[in-house]
Amino acid sequence: MPVAIRNLHIEYPGQLVFDSVDMDVADNEIVAVETQVLDGGTSLLRGIGGFLNDVGGEVNLNGVDLLTCIPAERAVRVGYVYEDHGLVSLYTVYENIVLPLLFHTELSDDEIHGRVSEVCTSLNLDEALFAHRPHQLNDVQTRLVNLARGLIINPELMLIDEPEGGMSEEYLHDTMVTLREKQQINPMAIIITTSDDFVLEKADRVFRIENHNLMPEQ
Amino acid sequence: MSSMPDRQHPLDIIDTIGRWPREVISYILDIIGLISIALRSTRHLRNKRRRRIFLSLFVRQLYNTGVRALFVNGIIAVIIGALLMSRLFEYIPRQVLADQYGYLFVVIIFRELGPLISGIILIARSATAVTSEIGFLRMRREFQVLNGLGINPVFLFLLPVFFAFPVSLFLMFLYFDFMCILSAYSVIWLSDPSISFVVFLGNILQQITLNEVAINAVKAILGGMVIGVISIHFGARATDSFDDVSDAISNSTTSQLMAFFLINVVLSLLAYTQ
Repeated sequence: MPVAIRNLHIEYPGQLVFDSVDMDVADNEIVAVETQVLDGGTSLLRGIGGFLNDVGGEVNLNGVDLLTCIPAERAVRVGYVYEDHGLVSLYTVYENIVLPLLFHTELSDDEIHGRVSEVCTSLNLDEALFAHRPHQLNDVQTRLVNLARGLIINPELMLIDEPEGGMSEEYLHDTMVTLREKQQINPMAIIITTSDDFVLEKADRVFRIENHNLMPEQ
Repeated sequence: MSSMPDRQHPLDIIDTIGRWPREVISYILDIIGLISIALRSTRHLRNKRRRRIFLSLFVRQLYNTGVRALFVNGIIAVIIGALLMSRLFEYIPRQVLADQYGYLFVVIIFRELGPLISGIILIARSATAVTSEIGFLRMRREFQVLNGLGINPVFLFLLPVFFAFPVSLFLMFLYFDFMCILSAYSVIWLSDPSISFVVFLGNILQQITLNEVAINAVKAILGGMVIGVISIHFGARATDSFDDVSDAISNSTTSQLMAFFLINVVLSLLAYTQ
């Protein structure tokens, strides 16, 4: 399996969040984790992505342990979509989208622009927004820009934190279809935390958070 | 029900006395640490792409810090130049003053007032802006976003400030001096139009040695670097609360003023004491 999570242990000072999570995700699979308010969904995704300190266990992504690899290596393998904000206010929408490619790859400007056009077209992200600053975007646009920035690196693992906030069912449907299409072109494992029935329905497998662990839904 | 007042343990007094030096030492170490982090992150500049990202941020910072300060810097310089010349008129004969102005200008404006006032303008205009910007970025968890993208926030936020502040400060010194000379000459010209600007300027330039320029450059480099790093240090200490940012600005401004005055005084004493 491209993603093998073993004994993932997440604990903040005085607060155990996840005890020992084990999960495998294939590179053509969408796994949804059903979350409630403050039950640790965001921590789970951040822990899997290797963005938290003092996380125990192992998250093996195609032979690379995300918990111990250097940030630059992780940045070209893992796309992360934040539940809210998640953009750098110093930059425009376009600059936010291309930031990981500019910083971590040697692609030419034309190649980068080609990727931006392709990803934004598939997400129906209007090019008129490119010159906007993050504070000029609404919640849905912010989430789509986050998604575009995650997809533009052709990630091996995509972590999406509650994509449904502010999105109509139509938008959610289009987003899920786009993610499936992207998986066909560029195989990637997708883990989504969500409380939305539509997203849960579209996922290949669903887990719920129970007793500091993940339990498969029947 | 009244409670018994807590009896202070004798060791608490030692702790209280020791806290201040401890905080000062840890603050100085933090600043030195930030400077070394900034210097280390210059290694990213070897990469062409990253150099391009840096340059765009550096130019933006230089524009905000140096170019946009020209107006206020110029106005203050004109007032001080004119004031100094009109005061000197009262004590020194006109023709002697035209000859001696070069010396007086270097001692008063070029060595001391120019750097000091330019530094204060930099602190008031730009350093406070950087502190609040960093504070709000931190509150909005944008550093976390950058870390997630494998980008060191030091590279994007500290490095441009670290280089742009000294360059801006040095340019502000020069601009301040130039505007002072112009306004001082205007005052002379109003009372005696026969004194040539070229002679007046030549008289001043004769007094400015390479040594004077080098000392001003050191003041700009050290002062600019320290002011920039202190801005980032206090901005980055803001957490989730709105008042953290105002506290950061206030503490940062106080520290910057003290550090910049200290640097100026120490360098002037070292360089100009016979």
